[in-house]
Amino acid sequence: MVELLPGVQSTASALTAERIRMDVIAQNIANINTTRGLDGKPYQRQRVVFQTILNQRLAADPGATPQPVRVARIEPDPRPPKLVYDPGHPDANAEGFVAFPDINLHQEMVDLIAASRAFEANLAVLKNARSMALQTLSIGKRT
Amino acid sequence: MTVSSVIPPLTLRLAPEGGAAPVRPEPALSGGPTEPLRDVVPSFVPKPLPGAAPASEPFESVLDRLVGEVQARQTAAQEAVQGLLSGQGVPLHQAMIALEEAQVSFQLMVEVRNRLLEAYQELMRMQV
Repeated sequence: MVELLPGVQSTASALTAERIRMDVIAQNIANINTTRGLDGKPYQRQRVVFQTILNQRLAADPGATPQPVRVARIEPDPRPPKLVYDPGHPDANAEGFVAFPDINLHQEMVDLIAASRAFEANLAVLKNARSMALQTLSIGKRT
Repeated sequence: MTVSSVIPPLTLRLAPEGGAAPVRPEPALSGGPTEPLRDVVPSFVPKPLPGAAPASEPFESVLDRLVGEVQARQTAAQEAVQGLLSGQGVPLHQAMIALEEAQVSFQLMVEVRNRLLEAYQELMRMQV
């Protein structure tokens, strides 16, 4: 099928990638107090790594083809958990310390704002592509 | 050269895993400012007018394909919205993009129809 909206392929892939980034940030904020993750250990903060996709169909000249983006992987942040003294907690160790994930809420909020702004920027591209296409269709129109 | 061989088809899904990260080749710096611009995307070259010779494809079938394309996009948009609402994992923006493309292609079809009708009316008004 012919691509009617310019740049829609890259923009759509970026919107999907930013959505996944938002999902991961939401997961980090939600699990900020999780002391027992899926593996029994405290939750590890996750972060998203983006990667450019090579368009397989027109790979002969990569410089001349649109290069969409995707999430290459979601990898754990290697920061060690922070220990909080709370002897009454069910997950406290023998010394009475509880291991909480080392998640900085401020950092997560900044990431969240950055992700939502990046999403907005891609939406702006889409909006412009749409108005370009509709304006092109009005070539030669007798009002 | 057809347009569809130049422009890749719309792929909204993420590409499958694998494949090395693409490396964009460095532009050659030796050329200097007088070097002509590289033809990044093959530009549209209109064919010479066929004159009295019959066209390779009748205009009727071109119109038929156009309507079919619009229909396909409408169906794709409908499927995307249904996939979104039935929780099949279609993201909101993909459904909206599909709707947008359906609208633009429909608009294109309407414009083609308007031009055809204009030409016809112009002919009918001709004094004999």
